[in-house]
Amino acid sequence: MIDKDLSVDFMGVHFENPFLLSSSPVGNCYDMCAKAFDEGWGGVVFKTIGPKHFKIDEVSPRFDELTKEGTPFVGFKNMEQIAEHPLEENLHDLKKLKENYPDKIVVASIMGTNEEDWEELAQLVTEAKADMIEMNLSCPQMTSHEMGSDVGTNPELVKKYCAAVKRGSDLPMMAKMTPNITDMVPAAKASMDGGADGIATINTVKSISNIDLDKKVALPIVNGKSSISGFSGKAVKPIALRFIQQLRTAAGMELLPISGIGGIETWQDAAEFILLGATTLQVTTSVMQYGYRIVEDMKNGLMHYMEEQHVDHLSDLIGLATKNIVPAEDLDRDYKVYPKIDWDKCIGCGRCYISCFDGAHQAITWDEEKRRPSVNINRCVGCQLCNLVCPVGAITTGEKVMKPGRQGKAEDKQVDSSRLTHF
Amino acid sequence: MSKKYETETPSYTMTTVMEEAARCLLCHDAPCSQACPAHTDPGKFIRSVRFRNVKGAAETIRENNALGAICARVCPTEKYCELACSRTGIDSPIDIGGIQRYVTDFEQQAKMDILKKGDSNGKTIAIVGSGPAGLQTATTMLERGYAVDIYEKSEKAGGYLTYGIPEYRLPQDIVDFEIKRIVNLGADIHYNVTVGKDITMDDLKANHDAVVVAVGASEAKSLSIFAGNDYVESAVDFLARVKDAKGDITDVPQNAVVIGGGDVAMDVATTLKRLDAKNVTDVAYEEFDEFRASKKELEGTRKAGVTIVDGYVPSAVDDNVVTFKHRKIDSELKIKADKIILAIGQQINADNLGINIERGVVPYVGYKTEDPKVYITGDIAKGDQTVVWAVRKGKKVADLVDQTLLGGTK
Repeated sequence: MIDKDLSVDFMGVHFENPFLLSSSPVGNCYDMCAKAFDEGWGGVVFKTIGPKHFKIDEVSPRFDELTKEGTPFVGFKNMEQIAEHPLEENLHDLKKLKENYPDKIVVASIMGTNEEDWEELAQLVTEAKADMIEMNLSCPQMTSHEMGSDVGTNPELVKKYCAAVKRGSDLPMMAKMTPNITDMVPAAKASMDGGADGIATINTVKSISNIDLDKKVALPIVNGKSSISGFSGKAVKPIALRFIQQLRTAAGMELLPISGIGGIETWQDAAEFILLGATTLQVTTSVMQYGYRIVEDMKNGLMHYMEEQHVDHLSDLIGLATKNIVPAEDLDRDYKVYPKIDWDKCIGCGRCYISCFDGAHQAITWDEEKRRPSVNINRCVGCQLCNLVCPVGAITTGEKVMKPGRQGKAEDKQVDSSRLTHF
Repeated sequence: MSKKYETETPSYTMTTVMEEAARCLLCHDAPCSQACPAHTDPGKFIRSVRFRNVKGAAETIRENNALGAICARVCPTEKYCELACSRTGIDSPIDIGGIQRYVTDFEQQAKMDILKKGDSNGKTIAIVGSGPAGLQTATTMLERGYAVDIYEKSEKAGGYLTYGIPEYRLPQDIVDFEIKRIVNLGADIHYNVTVGKDITMDDLKANHDAVVVAVGASEAKSLSIFAGNDYVESAVDFLARVKDAKGDITDVPQNAVVIGGGDVAMDVATTLKRLDAKNVTDVAYEEFDEFRASKKELEGTRKAGVTIVDGYVPSAVDDNVVTFKHRKIDSELKIKADKIILAIGQQINADNLGINIERGVVPYVGYKTEDPKVYITGDIAKGDQTVVWAVRKGKKVADLVDQTLLGGTK
């Protein structure tokens, strides 16, 4: 079996692999975290520990899922708040985890309601021998407005609380950011100004997933009512990647240590976060659906990817895609690429014809007799929608041409993607 | 009822039907929708399922086909819609029959009432026979405002649906429910009335604006070598007897030989195995590459443990020992059985109906007879003898009658 170096150094701490459980129901007690370690996770972010005076009282039921065709868990809605176990028990679990798994990384996630709380919690988890602190500034379903994403969208509070944590502990610390904000950079900068060493993002996206059409109540129904709460899973991955890109391209934050979170369930998702600059990766939703074992294929798949990319260390891949995402105004708009239709592969379903007519530029003609599409280059704008909808990969990128009056060589334009030829 | 005899294969659930519907490519100008003899539009109803509109899917099926739940179960889809399916270019066709079954089951559970009776036009139609063609004719006529009387010689309606197709393939509850729908729409079914005996064609003609004869081909064919042999039973008699007794018959043979290679032969052989007959051998005239039974039926029969021998014809019978000869090679086969069941086809029995029959088939090209008031449909009319074709022919004859009487209201 393939064996490659997946270890990473993140905020001065060495991880045997970049995969962590994120702070959530999946890392709620000693037994859960121990099992995750046994199955190969590099670390855990223990479920957020709050101050003693804040009482957790959860609803039932508390989850919902978004589906599409036969696919469950396209997205996941969650109403749970922070750890419901007593503070002493949580601290005891942290300590025991570190004692029994000295090579694994235990991250303590904490959340306070004021500076005193934050400082005290930082102190307590440091005494419990956690390796690292994550500040939860982003949970969108707290029952107090002094906690969670209401704090994370306020840079002033963020800075103040980060400084408080730093007073209470000298452990490396990352601030977990909310995506429920137009621009994450000011909040992230405020946390760095307050002393944060890195950023974890994204937390869940505020959402309403489904509405019961008979009862006229959103799901899950909690005695006849529901609330807006956090959305996660595959559907939020594009949002997470976008925020990470914006952080890593903000002036002065090019080397910002990031723990990437948001819809990771395969090694490919993981690789995408790494290529955009994440060093560690946090996962919950796919674990809730499939269990801790998913880490096996994420690790092994990443190793095979490293082999294909000829790199010996995972860290060699961090941030390699960042520079290739540029503002829209900087893209090359001088050429277009036509689709190429392979009639041997074509099964005559006509989906390209429908999509081109109804969703693009009426550039595919349809032979009713032979059930065969062909491209009318006089109308084709090179959008490649047909390529995307073809169910058999019979349409690929074909001839490239310069737009009239533009300079340059069409054949030099780079448009091919293995993602578009995955059949 | 014997569990093995009655148990139908499980249907889809909401989740699994969505998985199957998601396999559908949702073709432009869908080939499946052009391949149904009854003009069912799978391209449309699968798209409805895919976009979570199961009620809309049920409307698409039901408005076109009064026997949608039956066709979903018994149609040899491999020869029609599934043969045309584009998905075959990737792997295997969409299970169109299975999706249709899910939708029509949903329709029943949701108590949907899709068929609507047309405003009365004062005309009345008599239909002879309540098999699938008669039922579809009745439905289309009722939708167009005609009053409909159906004359059925048996005590139950449905013809071969009720008295032929085994329970495990077509539960009687489903047949009864489809018939109830048509009765609710206004069909008046007169049971235990044999036209030509209990009532004359002239009476029907006198009391109705048109008479549609849909008596089917219910009489078993035989071979002269089996005449008078007590071990011999016809497939139609056997299947009717088993279905009527709900599988509870006392004379299940230890060793049976079934002669024939169509769906009826497969039904008989499989039924015997499901009733725990020990050895069942089916001998067919056709060789496998020209087999008449649908692949689904053939496969089910093999799975049930029936031995199938192809390419042999019966040449002699001595008491309960049948001798077969191969059609092409010099080969002989002798089988001793406690029961010999003949499934070698059916013919029309249309005595006293004024219908001209030549060598078991009618000479008419379409649905008209010499008598301007009398029409034919179903198995006695030209075309295939399947349920889906019965539905097609039922709609066609209804169109023709409507056209003739009122110039076509739709």
